[in-house]
Amino acid sequence: MRKALFPAVLLVLLLLPALKLEGYYYRMLSTIFLWIGLASAWNLTSGFTGYIDFGSVGYFGIGNYATAILMTKAGMPFVPSIAASGILSGLVAQFIGRHTMKLRGAYFGIATLAFAEAASQIVMEFDRTFHITFFEGSHGITLPIAHEETFFYYTFLIVVSLIVLTVFFIDRNKFGYALKAIKEAEDSAELAGVNTRFYKVSVYAITAVMIGVLGGINAYWLTYISPLDVFSVIHTIHMIIMALFGGVGTVFGPVAGAVVLSLANEIIGAKLLYTYLLMLGIILLVVVIFLPRGFIGLLSLRRFKK
Amino acid sequence: MKYLKALCLVAIITGLLLPNLSYGQAAKVRIGCALPLTGVFGRDGNLVKDAYTFWAETANAKGGITVKGKKYQVELLFFDDKSDKAESAKLVERLASVDKVDLILGGFGSDSVFAASAIAEKYKYPMISGGASSNKLFERNFKYYFSTLGKATEEVRGCVEIASILKPKPKTAAVIGSDILFTSLAAEGFKDYLKKAGIELVHFELFPLSLTDYNSLLYKVKQKNPDMLLVGSHLMVALNTMKALKEVDFTPKLVAFSYGPTVPDFVKSLGKDAEYVVAAAEWAPSLSYKDDFFGTAKELNANYFKRFGRYPDYVEVASMGGALVQQWAIEKLGMTPPLKEADRVKLMEGLHKMDSLTAYGRIKFGPDGANVDHPPVAVQVQNGKLVIVFPKDVAEKPVLYPAKPWKERK
Amino acid sequence: MTLFIQALITGLLNGGVYAAYSSGFSLIFGVMNIVNIFHGELIMVGAFTTYWLYTLYNIDPFLTLPLSVLSAGATGYIVQRYIINRVVEAPPMISYLCTFGIHLILANLALLFWSADFRTVTTSYSGVGFSLGQLTIPIARLITFFIAVCTTFGLYLFLEKARYGKAIRAASQDKQMARLVGIDIRKVYALTFALGAAVTGLAGGLISTHFVIYPQMGLPYTIIAFCVVVLGGMGYIPGALVGGLCIGVIQSLTATYLTSGLSIAITFILLFIILVLKPRGIMGKGIVE
Repeated sequence: MRKALFPAVLLVLLLLPALKLEGYYYRMLSTIFLWIGLASAWNLTSGFTGYIDFGSVGYFGIGNYATAILMTKAGMPFVPSIAASGILSGLVAQFIGRHTMKLRGAYFGIATLAFAEAASQIVMEFDRTFHITFFEGSHGITLPIAHEETFFYYTFLIVVSLIVLTVFFIDRNKFGYALKAIKEAEDSAELAGVNTRFYKVSVYAITAVMIGVLGGINAYWLTYISPLDVFSVIHTIHMIIMALFGGVGTVFGPVAGAVVLSLANEIIGAKLLYTYLLMLGIILLVVVIFLPRGFIGLLSLRRFKK
Repeated sequence: MKYLKALCLVAIITGLLLPNLSYGQAAKVRIGCALPLTGVFGRDGNLVKDAYTFWAETANAKGGITVKGKKYQVELLFFDDKSDKAESAKLVERLASVDKVDLILGGFGSDSVFAASAIAEKYKYPMISGGASSNKLFERNFKYYFSTLGKATEEVRGCVEIASILKPKPKTAAVIGSDILFTSLAAEGFKDYLKKAGIELVHFELFPLSLTDYNSLLYKVKQKNPDMLLVGSHLMVALNTMKALKEVDFTPKLVAFSYGPTVPDFVKSLGKDAEYVVAAAEWAPSLSYKDDFFGTAKELNANYFKRFGRYPDYVEVASMGGALVQQWAIEKLGMTPPLKEADRVKLMEGLHKMDSLTAYGRIKFGPDGANVDHPPVAVQVQNGKLVIVFPKDVAEKPVLYPAKPWKERK
Repeated sequence: MTLFIQALITGLLNGGVYAAYSSGFSLIFGVMNIVNIFHGELIMVGAFTTYWLYTLYNIDPFLTLPLSVLSAGATGYIVQRYIINRVVEAPPMISYLCTFGIHLILANLALLFWSADFRTVTTSYSGVGFSLGQLTIPIARLITFFIAVCTTFGLYLFLEKARYGKAIRAASQDKQMARLVGIDIRKVYALTFALGAAVTGLAGGLISTHFVIYPQMGLPYTIIAFCVVVLGGMGYIPGALVGGLCIGVIQSLTATYLTSGLSIAITFILLFIILVLKPRGIMGKGIVE
């Protein structure tokens, strides 16, 4: 029964635009899809390998800027631009990952955070330092006004579905098995002959590609980007919280986390202007103390009865 | 059992998402607004919220807005965009398509307003804001975006032109500013006006908003010994700059900020250290503006204090001015709520044609939506109070120049 | 030349402030393996304590420091005893969620009670400095610097010599053995957290005189503390001082000779490079899992 749920939901979502609802609902669903994608991508590396990444937003920013620059300065169309965003992010991640993944725990976290903050500042200062006009610094880049909201709805839906499917397949095959081995006992895995470095860096790069593509779509969707918001550490924090809330290391945990928290933000956040974040903090504590495995833990408890 | 729970959850969510079914009470004008009530601009967003609230309460105290002889109460719907532009855009879309408000009022912060106004343009809602002035906002050929503030680069005119009445005339100046849209444009505005005034620019530097070390920057500027220091700022940057100026013992003959000193917190927090500071302003209570809704500028100032325990900053007054002209527009055009899209198109056209005098001053929107002729003034902190010092014809007191060095102040 | 020395002094004094509010973070991480995401809120609590006492009762900020210590320390203790204690043995990800939740609660409670206004403490001697030839040294910052150094050494000595301090170190090195020798781990954790929080509150009180404070000020400070501590070596208290001073000097020199914008970019680039080359921090004494 559980297996049929995902394709069923997907079908419903694909057909939703036929109802011709107000633009706002598609925008809201696009937002939810974006966060499902980001949380899942973050979880793919951090949840599966246990290497907590604090710099994921770096790739989001790179993706945003790559697409923005390609579309405005090189006149490239949308799809090749986001593909380029993904590839560029993946390449950068290869480099960053190779050097940071020999660090453990909080050191890895800080190194990745340093990368993201450095990237943000570089984009801000680049034009001024080298006296050229490229990133446009704090003035930001304005992209051409795009299509209807449903265009982005479908783009996000397709890309995010692919992301979740990728996580699903990795979870079930040898690649995922190696990742989990790394999480449980990396040294033992290394001794047993697993090339941990290859797996770690590869999954990190895959995550970066996903985040980069989502960043590219984001730029076109918002039509105006500036360094401070697309590189903001708050985005990484959201990814982490959604994944943890829903259940880290699982395939659908981040999906659930992203959906619940985005909806909560939309519905409750709008009505309780000042106390929403306070309530969120309390809810998080409750979840952490009583449901350490996240919401998914609630569902899987039935299966893992000791 | 689990599916029943899920079903209930879905039902509740749908129920909460559906628009408020308040169509029964048709005698209302519903106005929506997305503002930063939390986040980086939370402070400023709350100020604008108070401003709009003040306008609505004043209108409702008079019975409401009068259209075709009938009175309509004003109902304001505020949403928090958390200083995030994607949120701002989403909320404006919600206000337009789900809550189906009659009118919209603009938020605060050029970045968020930039994104939100694109949505307003799509849904054909005129959006008047008194809290966003970056030039970029007016360069998009939008018809539905209006601002009661002048453009950012021009708002700062007064701070540079004041040099013409200073003796001895300043010869050099340094410009610094935080590197976000509004303040960097203000800094560039300073630069342009300095060039026009023939004053030499000895240092120009934009710094990240997250900067904590202002001392190094200001020591560097101190070395170059400029007569004037002009800063592209919001409140926090202005406070940080003043504290740092004292620590590095640097007293430029004139220090001017694009924004910050007009917010009462500035003088309250700095006490005596705030003396001599000059700021750009687009309104001051001593100006002889008036209208039959708010009264004179002085009365508006006093009533606002009575209501909120603090005097309004010019952004708040600009916001109220915008709300007022929108009210006059629907009253004049005879639009009865609920407003339909065709009404709003006519409203937009009407707004472009209007030329009004309010307690905020003259409001006339150019074809790009900016307020065409709102002469900026320069104010100075003297004995803990803000007084207009430029231009001469509206100056309350002469400008105190040069500023006394820190060590000589009591 | 004067500019260089001035920049150096500025950097050291700034670094002292960084070190002051980072050593508590290092202690908590070193002993309990918890990355305290609400660290910035402890600074905020200390800062606001000083602010309110000054604004309402006109008490000099330096005199109210002990109260900032108490308020932050108490906050830390209470949070630890009733919340963190339940998750201290859990995987680190749980502690991230937990401390993040507390961060949200503390920051937004403060916002609710104190509003988003920007505030700062300005006394008659704020910003006053003395001159050494062409150099200017702000007195208040110098005092903060000394307090930071003293606190760091005090903490270090406490951990080395005092009975409770040694118990804390024992608990961080080997929990099982510590238990076997009769050390109450829960008590040790409570003490550690309270101590770390108290030291942070002290820094917060000092910060209210230098900087602008507001309820949501916490997160950027937490990030800097994170950087300082990793640079100096996690769990190694003197490292927090060294890390703070290094970052302070690098930033001021870059800001003086290049631009302020680059000072931040270079800080993070340098941090990244150092971590890649020397994962245990520049002094090589950091705790690695």
